[in-house]
Amino acid sequence: MSMCNSSWSQMVFYEKAHEGSRRGADTSAFLQSPQKMTATLRPYLNAVRATLQAALCLENFSSQVVERHNKPEVEVRSSKELLLQPVVISRNDKEKVLIEGSINSVRVSIAVKQADEIEKILCHKFMRFMMMRAENFFILRRKPVEGYDISFLITNFHTEQMYKHKLRNSSKIFEDLSLESFCSRLGRRCGSHGK
Amino acid sequence: MSKNTVSDRFRKVDVDEYDENKFVDEEDGGENQLGPDEAEVDSLIRQYPLKHSAVLKNPPINTKNQNVKDRAEGLVLKVLTAFKSSDIEKAVQSLDKNKVDLLMKYIYKGFERPSENSSAVLLQWHEKALSAGGVGSIVRVLTARKTV
Repeated sequence: MSMCNSSWSQMVFYEKAHEGSRRGADTSAFLQSPQKMTATLRPYLNAVRATLQAALCLENFSSQVVERHNKPEVEVRSSKELLLQPVVISRNDKEKVLIEGSINSVRVSIAVKQADEIEKILCHKFMRFMMMRAENFFILRRKPVEGYDISFLITNFHTEQMYKHKLRNSSKIFEDLSLESFCSRLGRRCGSHGK
Repeated sequence: MSKNTVSDRFRKVDVDEYDENKFVDEEDGGENQLGPDEAEVDSLIRQYPLKHSAVLKNPPINTKNQNVKDRAEGLVLKVLTAFKSSDIEKAVQSLDKNKVDLLMKYIYKGFERPSENSSAVLLQWHEKALSAGGVGSIVRVLTARKTV
């Protein structure tokens, strides 16, 4: 796994050297977008935070189908009375958050902006890295929901053990995760995309 | 063996259907709900200051007809985007509690189909409606059995 990683980041570095000159021309056009993008970021995060606060009211609920079992109803979807309306909050057509609630669990799915091929690959690899280690994250789901990049499953047991506002903020980290900030950590010149 | 087990038709009966505690969604007929009147809304859009109470007047909540719902949603979206940012707060203040809940429902519906600039406008509306209705209005959107 570590061998793979180093060759992958090497590939990115070569890309950077190659594309540096090409991207230089485009920078001015992209510089206009930063203000517009940041203007929607605040209200987007606030909207998601408020909706999560509303959806994260969970209580223990044993399975009605199998005795002595306790299943997250949003995954099982056995009974309509236990499910809430799924709700989408979108910032544009590429970035959105899907929140599906139920009586004892909430599923939050995030679609992250991926502007070009390289970002798609990076995003995919990063999310896969996280999802393979989902056990250590507790609330991460091993497979994202169709159409999204990453999913969380939060059950009443999590809300009983962890602070609700910290749970809210942990998913916020992923929305705020623009690949630009991630890329800049790898040393690639991503300023041309703006934020 | 004994006589009463000759037929096994009872095995094909789905017992869960006849469970008296089984949950059924109430479906009262919503055939007569047509949604907001298009001409009226268009005329209101043209005059300033905008009043959007008309478009929220007749929500097609119970209709199963998807066309009516789509048309109503399109109308509401048109009205919401036609508002100026400074007027949004005043407009939201003028609504009563039920209308604020209805507005929230339409906002979330609008988020599902993001077009050019709609999400930015809807986010502004969401912020103002949230300050008017509080988290409770979002909870009512999530738990509503009949969507707009």
